[in-house]
Amino acid sequence: MLRLEKTKENSFDILSLHGEVDASNSVQLDEVIKELMESGSKNILIDGGELEYISSAGLGVFMSYLEDFQEKEINFRIFNLSPKVSEVFKILGLDQLIPIHSTKTEAFAG
Amino acid sequence: MFRLPTIHIGKLTLLLSILVWLALLFVDLVRIFGIINSLESGISNEITWILEILFFFTLYFFYSDSIEKNKQKDFLNLIWRAASTGIFASTAAILVELFYFSLGDSKLASEPFMKNFFYHVNFALTTIFLISSALLWKHLILYQKNKQVVKQWQVFEFALLVAMFFVFFNKNNLDYSFIFGLVILIIISAILSGNLKWIPYLTIKEKWKSLLFLFFILVSTGFLFRRFLAYSNAEVYQVNLTDNLFLVALFAFIFLYALFSFLVTLFNLPTSSVFEQKLTEAINFQRLSQSIKPEENEEQVLDILMDSCMSASYADGAWLELQTGKKREEIVQLRFLDHKTQEELSERIKALSASGKNQDSSKELEPQNFRLDHPKFESALIIPLEVNNSKIGKMILVKEVRDGFNKEMIGIVSTFSRQACIAVENHRLLNQAILNERYQEELKIAQRVQKALLPNKLDHPDSFQICAYSNAADEVGGDYYDTFKLDEDRYVLIIGDVSGKGTSAAFHMSQMKGIFHSLIQLNLSPAEFMIRANSALSKCLEKNHFITASIFIINIREQKICHARAGHVPTLFYHAQANNSEFLLFDGLGLGILRNRKYENHVQEKEFHYSSGDILVLITDGIVEAKNQKGQQFGFGRIQSLVEIHKDKTPKEIQNQLIDSLHAFVGGDGMIDDDYSMMVVKFLPDAHQDKKNLY
Repeated sequence: MLRLEKTKENSFDILSLHGEVDASNSVQLDEVIKELMESGSKNILIDGGELEYISSAGLGVFMSYLEDFQEKEINFRIFNLSPKVSEVFKILGLDQLIPIHSTKTEAFAG
Repeated sequence: MFRLPTIHIGKLTLLLSILVWLALLFVDLVRIFGIINSLESGISNEITWILEILFFFTLYFFYSDSIEKNKQKDFLNLIWRAASTGIFASTAAILVELFYFSLGDSKLASEPFMKNFFYHVNFALTTIFLISSALLWKHLILYQKNKQVVKQWQVFEFALLVAMFFVFFNKNNLDYSFIFGLVILIIISAILSGNLKWIPYLTIKEKWKSLLFLFFILVSTGFLFRRFLAYSNAEVYQVNLTDNLFLVALFAFIFLYALFSFLVTLFNLPTSSVFEQKLTEAINFQRLSQSIKPEENEEQVLDILMDSCMSASYADGAWLELQTGKKREEIVQLRFLDHKTQEELSERIKALSASGKNQDSSKELEPQNFRLDHPKFESALIIPLEVNNSKIGKMILVKEVRDGFNKEMIGIVSTFSRQACIAVENHRLLNQAILNERYQEELKIAQRVQKALLPNKLDHPDSFQICAYSNAADEVGGDYYDTFKLDEDRYVLIIGDVSGKGTSAAFHMSQMKGIFHSLIQLNLSPAEFMIRANSALSKCLEKNHFITASIFIINIREQKICHARAGHVPTLFYHAQANNSEFLLFDGLGLGILRNRKYENHVQEKEFHYSSGDILVLITDGIVEAKNQKGQQFGFGRIQSLVEIHKDKTPKEIQNQLIDSLHAFVGGDGMIDDDYSMMVVKFLPDAHQDKKNLY
């Protein structure tokens, strides 16, 4: 099960992920990120505090937008990941491409 | 070889009855000869009676055999047989009378021998008519028989048998016992005559014909009976054959049954069209419920549906609209209407249903009855067709009369359409099942092909043992492992995992294998291998897919391992001398994530020495992320401790331990919903080194 929640703080669009991202619901995540991007948002933050698990299909979603973010100069950051999920990002090496912060304030500060 | 000729009952009984009749005739002629010549012939009446009874019996057996043989279910044929025999017997009697009439008062007219001969002929023909008709009636009475009717018939037959022998007791006098017997037989006949179940099954045309035949039978019966009465009053005939209870009772029976049949058929005439209609409906219903065979098409069912509904509602025209596209409707069947009229009617119905009050969607799936202001057709009935709760089309019936569709018609028509929809639905489901079956077969082939992509023999020197295992969550998966021998001293281990699972992962896996196989020939360093692999895979992977891989180049001479990791799950390395183990985690980005030159900055190489007893466990994330019922992951810790516990075992044993523990963790029937693979390598004491140590 995955629940997505969009909030806006200042110029930051915060997308909170609740539950698990796997092959069956990665499309939802993809759609929401696409929406945010198309709405012209320049700062997209992912709140992973409630994210219990992310499969390779879920990671594939983030990965597929890396080039777009760079092209459109969008700040894409992830924060508040649980150690387990954080490790998944680390193993794949995505932590080298996406800034991962431990708290929201850090993420705001960049 | 001598063979007994098979006894032909029909011919035998026919021959016997003719012989018996001739004997009867001869006996009577002899008797008359005796009387005329005042000689005592010494032939008692009993002999005549016995012969008469014999004649009855042989005729009975002949006819029951003959009717049994031509056991047609055609009632009309049976009645015609009785009628034709009756007409024949009556005609013969009339001819005899005419013959005597033409003779006038000549001497020949009072010639006793000839008179007696014709008497016997008339007797024989009448008896044939009576017995054959009685047996034909039996067939009609016992149509759709039940136990009670069979019993009644048996009683009647028994009573007739008694009546045959009654002559010995009664000496052919019309006394009270005769009348009593006759009354009993007539009562039984009347009761039996109530069994007329065959009549409703006649069509109107057949009913008219049967009325005619029954009329013939009634007339002949009456005529022949009158002849009989005439004979019994005449004194010329020495032994009266005809004042016989058996024959008189048969007369009564034949007449009664024919009369009942005649009247019931007559009164059945007006309702017979309704009966026929119901019968057709039942047959149509049956045709509709027969499921369509896969090779047939739905059109036949719709064809039957149209025919049945039109005949059930006496509609003057009809058409069928099927939804083919999203909004498009196609007219597939048009009956007794031209396209122009159909369009006119369609327009009017559309206007009516748009203005109608019942706009709610629940009514849409119920039959709707309309009044039309069309010059020719004044009423219309719309029956929606639905399969699987979704409308597939509608059938429109039109009639030239106003309010032409009554409740019963609507009922039967909607039953028909429901049945047809079920048949269509079954047909579709069946086709789908067949298609699925084919896909399953295709997937099995894919599975076999993919299994062949994994090595069935792993390259390794004597100085290390190796084993590997892979299991896909679906028929095919995205995990891959392989080994290569670069030269005498260097061996390569590779493990890879495509993101996602199933068919798409399987295709990427085969691409990965191709790329790895070509790159390995180039003698590259692990980091260079990954960089090249990334650039090659970037061109063929789908946008949101990536591959993780680990590569190990083992130099057995220098006991050195060079390793690069591209986002893959870290490999467990057990260090025998230190008796500890660690997961080899360092920077390394998955393949296909960064699809440009920058990837070079994100891959590292690690080099380390190994010694005998050391173990490498290469895994894919399916093992680490396997979940139990509580949602906990198998995790790295369990793998690590299991390897440490079983460190002294062979790679195969360690691998089995890991797999067994994994299954036990996930739970009895729990499914691991990702592909998972592993490769276990254990380094053995080097033969050369051991020798050195020994000396």
